[in-house]
Amino acid sequence: MPEIRRAIVADKRPKAKVEWADLIGRVASRGDREAFKSLFEHFAPRIKGFMLKTGCSADEAEEIAQEALIAVWRKAGQFDPATTGVAAWIYTIARNLRIDAVRKSVRRGGSSQAPDLVDTADPADTADVVISRVEDASRVKAAIERLSMEQSSVIRLSFIEERPHPEIADLLGIPLGTVKSRIRLAMNRLRDLLDEQQ
Amino acid sequence: MTINHHPPEDLLASFAAGALDAAERLVVAVHVAGCAGCGRFVQAMEQLAGAALEDAAPAPLAAGAFDAVMARIREAPAEAVRPLPPRAIADHPELPAILRRCQIGKRRRVAPGVSMQPIELSGGGRARAFLLQSAAGTRMLEHSHTGTELTCVLKGSFSHQGGRYGPGDFDYGDDDVDHRPIVGDEGPCLCLVAMTGDLRMNGFFGRLISPFIRL
Repeated sequence: MPEIRRAIVADKRPKAKVEWADLIGRVASRGDREAFKSLFEHFAPRIKGFMLKTGCSADEAEEIAQEALIAVWRKAGQFDPATTGVAAWIYTIARNLRIDAVRKSVRRGGSSQAPDLVDTADPADTADVVISRVEDASRVKAAIERLSMEQSSVIRLSFIEERPHPEIADLLGIPLGTVKSRIRLAMNRLRDLLDEQQ
Repeated sequence: MTINHHPPEDLLASFAAGALDAAERLVVAVHVAGCAGCGRFVQAMEQLAGAALEDAAPAPLAAGAFDAVMARIREAPAEAVRPLPPRAIADHPELPAILRRCQIGKRRRVAPGVSMQPIELSGGGRARAFLLQSAAGTRMLEHSHTGTELTCVLKGSFSHQGGRYGPGDFDYGDDDVDHRPIVGDEGPCLCLVAMTGDLRMNGFFGRLISPFIRL
């Protein structure tokens, strides 16, 4: 517990996800407000920053960040550290809220519910399904670790941060003409890494 | 179920980033739910996105945001359970879980042996989604697209020059594709399709009936 505190106060670098997972566990098991506050203080501003960077207005980014943390509180019991990282889990929550926000702004107050496309774990999942989820997660983790720094950066910049190619060329210090092929190579490499570890 | 045809990686990446419009997202989601390999690819993208979120420059929240969030947690009712739309289940009891949660419109005949049912998605994207059902052995008209066409086979099969497409297979057609799918003889083929732009019917008969086919 004191270690967790120190890690949070020290900030700056990403914390080991075990610690964040612990905090989520405390929110899930006993509605621990202090644990939730630590999660809020770390993730809410990053969600807002991320949303601003990917084209949301300040109001939308603020709303998505707040709603995402509300969802973290509510869904804390569904978080499974064996199948995903905390940051990735929170990312998917925020991403889905942004999709919803776009939909609502188009429909302007329409109440139609769109299907929830996220394949969340079903409490009735059989043991086989649970085991294969855990195996998938470890394969995914191993594949990402074997991607080169440049390969993971180019994927992040182009697909996740949705930056235009000239900016990617600038950031990585590579000629504009090679951005496309680097992206393709990185994607193929990721696919190969995921497929080869049978 | 052996899946042989998959979405291109960049489409999976855009799916993971939440950047597809509603109809395209639906078709990719149905494929991914049934395809372990593509599921892992999407997960990998989400883990990379988590790392990007960790590295994002923090933007301070509005004053009092934490208290506001705590107040909303205390007040707000738990998430409502969504009732299943009845038509989807009545017409296609075998639909995958994701589609069973969609509003599906009335079935409409579009050509001999071919009928379609629109899927009502809010969000006003460029693409429209629909279920397309074709009788066994139907030879679809030669056609090309002005936009893109994403297809996931739910039941039965079809073939064109790209190969044979059975349950779970994903077909990506863009405006260069000019194909003439033939539905397999084993039974009717049910596909989920997201389409942007319009279909262009080629050949004399196609041009004759294309005004009536508003897919």
